[in-house]
Amino acid sequence: MFEARLTKGELIKKVIEALKDLVTEANFDISATGIQLQAMDSSHVSLCALQMKAEGFDHFRCDRSMPLGINLSSMSKVLKCCNKDDIVTLKAEDDGDSINFMFESKDQDKISDFELKLMDIDSEHFGIPDTDYKATVTMSASEFTRICNDLSILGETVAISVGKDGVRFSVSGEMGTGNMTVRDNTSSDTKEADRVEIDMEEPVNLNFALRYLKSFAKAAPLTDRVSLCLSRDVPLLVKYEIPEFGSLSYYLAPKIDDES
Amino acid sequence: MGIHGLSKLIADHAPGAMKEGKFENYFGRKIAIDASTSIYQFLVAVRHEENALTNADGVVTSHLNGMFYRTVRMIDAGIKPVYVFDGKPPTMKGGELAKRHARAAQATADLAKAKEEGNQEDIEKFSKRTVRATKQQSLDCKKLLELMGVPVIDAPCEAESTCAALCAAGKVFAVGTEDMDALTFGSTVLLRHLTYSDTKKMPPMEYRLADVLRLLELSMAQFIDVCILCGCDYTDKLKGVGPETALKKIREHGSLHALLHSTDKLVVGEDKVPASLREGYEEVQRLFTSPEAADPEAVELRWGEPDVEGIVGFMCGEMGFDEKRIRSSCEKLVKAKGKGNQVRIENFFAAKPGTNPAAAPAGKAAAGSGKRKAEPAAKAGKGAAAAAGAKKKK
Repeated sequence: MFEARLTKGELIKKVIEALKDLVTEANFDISATGIQLQAMDSSHVSLCALQMKAEGFDHFRCDRSMPLGINLSSMSKVLKCCNKDDIVTLKAEDDGDSINFMFESKDQDKISDFELKLMDIDSEHFGIPDTDYKATVTMSASEFTRICNDLSILGETVAISVGKDGVRFSVSGEMGTGNMTVRDNTSSDTKEADRVEIDMEEPVNLNFALRYLKSFAKAAPLTDRVSLCLSRDVPLLVKYEIPEFGSLSYYLAPKIDDES
Repeated sequence: MGIHGLSKLIADHAPGAMKEGKFENYFGRKIAIDASTSIYQFLVAVRHEENALTNADGVVTSHLNGMFYRTVRMIDAGIKPVYVFDGKPPTMKGGELAKRHARAAQATADLAKAKEEGNQEDIEKFSKRTVRATKQQSLDCKKLLELMGVPVIDAPCEAESTCAALCAAGKVFAVGTEDMDALTFGSTVLLRHLTYSDTKKMPPMEYRLADVLRLLELSMAQFIDVCILCGCDYTDKLKGVGPETALKKIREHGSLHALLHSTDKLVVGEDKVPASLREGYEEVQRLFTSPEAADPEAVELRWGEPDVEGIVGFMCGEMGFDEKRIRSSCEKLVKAKGKGNQVRIENFFAAKPGTNPAAAPAGKAAAGSGKRKAEPAAKAGKGAAAAAGAKKKK
């Protein structure tokens, strides 16, 4: 028996919105410690890793660890019926073939429930090595979304370079070129939300496909801050920490100019 | 060509070893392609009614058309093709080649007859059978590929075995061919339908050798024996033995050698075993296990810049292709080159062994049977049993 209840039901809705562009179907691995999901996008360029801690829920019970294979676009449709302030309860039997969603309005005057069929999904789990990133930038999640959307007007590849004076996002395309530089402002008294922290051991310069960054940026509504972690020749990590609930991490393989 | 009925055998007994992929998802992959077979296929497929495409001088250009547009399509999708051309035919194939010559002569005669009778359908059918790839056509394609910046390799012997050697050595990700004997030669991954045109809407089919062996419960040597029994290009086969029996008999006797020296009713009695098989099977085994192939380590694969003016000069100037179309395709080549190479995420993260849900505990598998997607292995009863056995071992 698996049962999880979340007063801030909206969180689940936002998580699925942040995943469904990249992943069409995935296994939610449930265990006593919480819910985890790991999935590659269909073209195998990026990997999403979701963690929702058991403590983050108001009630969480899982008697047996198992994967729940769910089609995310169907799940997103079901979650469309969930209102902003609804309380969400997820339920699944140990040997069942469906998952149950219940939405209760705050005042308990409206209750709806939905059942979604589960599916067997053949997917591999990847061991993600602990990387000691050479540069980490933490900034406002909405600002990062804006940068990605704005730059994608000009081209499809963005060069992210972290240097002494800040982090620079550059794009060049047929129409022209564009650069946006964000500077570390921890010393000045900027509002917490707009603060940019750059922690750099050595300068890093890598190219990435903007299309994926734009999809990652759909996670911005979940939290205020995002961290970008970079090192030479390894995937970029874009991490959204959701306080007291978990995290949503995206890994994106770089583009390499030409191999020898 | 190839191994008779092998693809069906795998589909029935090892469906888990086949995976339908998406063309776009092979970006960044290096893929070895048997050029000689491709040229032949283009000559057959790229046609207008019964006639091959020709330029104003009547020189056939079907092969160039196919080679150019399909290669552009691959490069545009980020795939890195390597073309391997046939060298001399292997000595073993001599008998088979003689048969092919006989068939060609027959087809030419049939075509003449059909033309006389004016039967359009037959004309088309037989004219396809008379197709032969000439040396000049190979040279044309080589020239075109070099202009396109695509690496070309001359195999010392058959292209298939060199493709397989490149694949087994990890120089390329897969071998792109329709010929199932690429697996028998030891290619770790075989991709079919890769050079099919867009319009056919045939997604690539990926076969993995390791899974084929695991699910068929055969060693590589036994797999080669099954292939020889199914009927390969190099020897005659036992009468009345299809892929099913071949698999059963090799599993039963352990090897082709043991089968031929047993008292099995398939091999006992006059004329049951063709002489070419009884005398030649060991040589055929050797041909598959250690074929004459280019040394993968000595091969350097380089994808260079496309020479646009060179391509236009050759394709439009000499071969009479439409300049506008060729140029617009060349633009794709140049653009693909400038895009930078998108690396795949699997290059960084290793799959954890045993985490594949297909290998999940039995309880889950039983529960899964009621779910929307049936397990692929469930299609063939025996295959499913074999798959389940393999899972437990894991």
